[in-house]
Amino acid sequence: MYNIKSLTHSYNDQPALDINRLEIEGSSIVGLAGPNGSGKSTLLRLLGLIERPTSGQIYFNGRLAEPFSDDTRFQVTLLPQEPLLMKRSVFGNVSYGLKLRGDRHALSDQVTEALSLVGLASEEFSRRPWYALSGGEAQRVAMAARLALKPKVLLLDEPTANVDATSAQMIKEAAIRARRDWGTTLVVASHDRQWLYEVCDNILHFFRGKIFGTGRETIVFGPWQKSETGTWTKQLSDDQKIRVPEPPHGDAVAIIDALSVKEDHSQKNPHDVSLQGTVSQLSLDKNTNQVFATVIVGNHPFTLGLAYQQVQAGSILPGKTISVQYNLNLVKWI
Amino acid sequence: MDFILDGFFKAIHLLFTGNAETYSAIITTVKVSGYSIGCSLLIGIPLGFCLGYFDFSGKKSVRTVVDTLMALPTVFIGLLVYAFLTQRGPLGDFGLLFTLPGIAIGQTILALPIVIGLSATAVESMDKKLRITIMSMGANRQQLFLSTLWECRHGISAGAIAAYGRVMTEVGISMMVGGNIKWHTRTITTAIALETNKGQFGMGVALGLVLLTIAFCVSLSVSFLRRKT
Repeated sequence: MYNIKSLTHSYNDQPALDINRLEIEGSSIVGLAGPNGSGKSTLLRLLGLIERPTSGQIYFNGRLAEPFSDDTRFQVTLLPQEPLLMKRSVFGNVSYGLKLRGDRHALSDQVTEALSLVGLASEEFSRRPWYALSGGEAQRVAMAARLALKPKVLLLDEPTANVDATSAQMIKEAAIRARRDWGTTLVVASHDRQWLYEVCDNILHFFRGKIFGTGRETIVFGPWQKSETGTWTKQLSDDQKIRVPEPPHGDAVAIIDALSVKEDHSQKNPHDVSLQGTVSQLSLDKNTNQVFATVIVGNHPFTLGLAYQQVQAGSILPGKTISVQYNLNLVKWI
Repeated sequence: MDFILDGFFKAIHLLFTGNAETYSAIITTVKVSGYSIGCSLLIGIPLGFCLGYFDFSGKKSVRTVVDTLMALPTVFIGLLVYAFLTQRGPLGDFGLLFTLPGIAIGQTILALPIVIGLSATAVESMDKKLRITIMSMGANRQQLFLSTLWECRHGISAGAIAAYGRVMTEVGISMMVGGNIKWHTRTITTAIALETNKGQFGMGVALGLVLLTIAFCVSLSVSFLRRKT
């Protein structure tokens, strides 16, 4: 569906995105994870052809895609993080995109269907003006306006960030239904890791404008301190220390991967570091059936990939204190 | 005080008996202000949109000039237009001095900066997310322009109404360029000035009441549109 080559984007000469190569398959669900300001929204705006990249190309179905191009503008739609409703009724908002396409056939039915996908009754909401909606309702109307278009690609930027649990669930279900019923490709930026693990075929982890992994790595920010014995560490709130190899600079960001629970401490490798933490969340990866545990180590979350049997055998549940281990040689730096 | 009260009663009489001279001034005012506001909206809205929407070098300077022109004194505009339209002026051959189109040109110059300035403000105060919303729904460039314009319709309308109020109530241009010719170029404001000089308070108050009603309607419309924005 998308093929991206040597893509960079900057705002006021500040680099915001730098992707060497990226392919997004049709009808897939791609998750974008990463902290605020890491480039997720920028990528979505570029994929949505809202902005022109500073350099590089985006190909859509093999054709070079650009803002306003007739080949793509009716096939891709973006739901921004804080969607704006236009100053018209709910009906006017939901039917707006259809009217742009000149599609006035059974407009009322199409609007009713789109609203029902996000759990809003047409007879109750259709005539309401834009200002007479709650935050969650407005978000659902904005989602309905995109779903009414039955898009080939639906780009969602934090679609559930500012809404209540019911609205969030409605939006999530509607997105999955779009993929199931119409084969829509979904690209979702979200901090809701659990949801991303559950629904995504592929997760891309962003940091400082670059893709560096699958979203299952643990990121640890500096500053790092050098001890008298020559080791580099970061002090945690519970007096434990995250030990790392020598960083490129004192404020470097460490990527810690390949975490595991070590039950047997008898054969300890000198390059292994063990920390004690409390399990706070478990989620299942739909592709690998692997369980991902979020373990809080001194206020710092670590992500841990576990086999299902391991979880069962160790009775790993939220609240349990477990040992987290990583190998110093596998720590990477950004 | 009695003459003011007498004037008020005479005004009611003139308005309700359909006094021809009074209504001639009202019709002339509505006609000429219609021409001028039509022209200024036609030219001013696209220019105001561009000024508010696009970023370009010198934008702040252009904005300052427009804001300054919003406060242009009407007698100064009257003087300029008179100089251009008089027999000796560069546009003298068109014979527009002491005609309604002549007054309309002056009033267009008066209203244009108001329409441009307030349209630009309306567009500038639009939520920046509007562009993303419209583009994400598949709009082309023309649809983006028209939809953005439609979204700031309340702000632009408020600007247009404010400009109309200014045009309706100005006296300098109408007096200097129109010449206050009875049955021809006499407007409400020039008639009030003349009748007051003649001591005819009745007609002056009658026309004043009409102006007051128009000003009230304008103010009501602006506050209604502000609530909508």
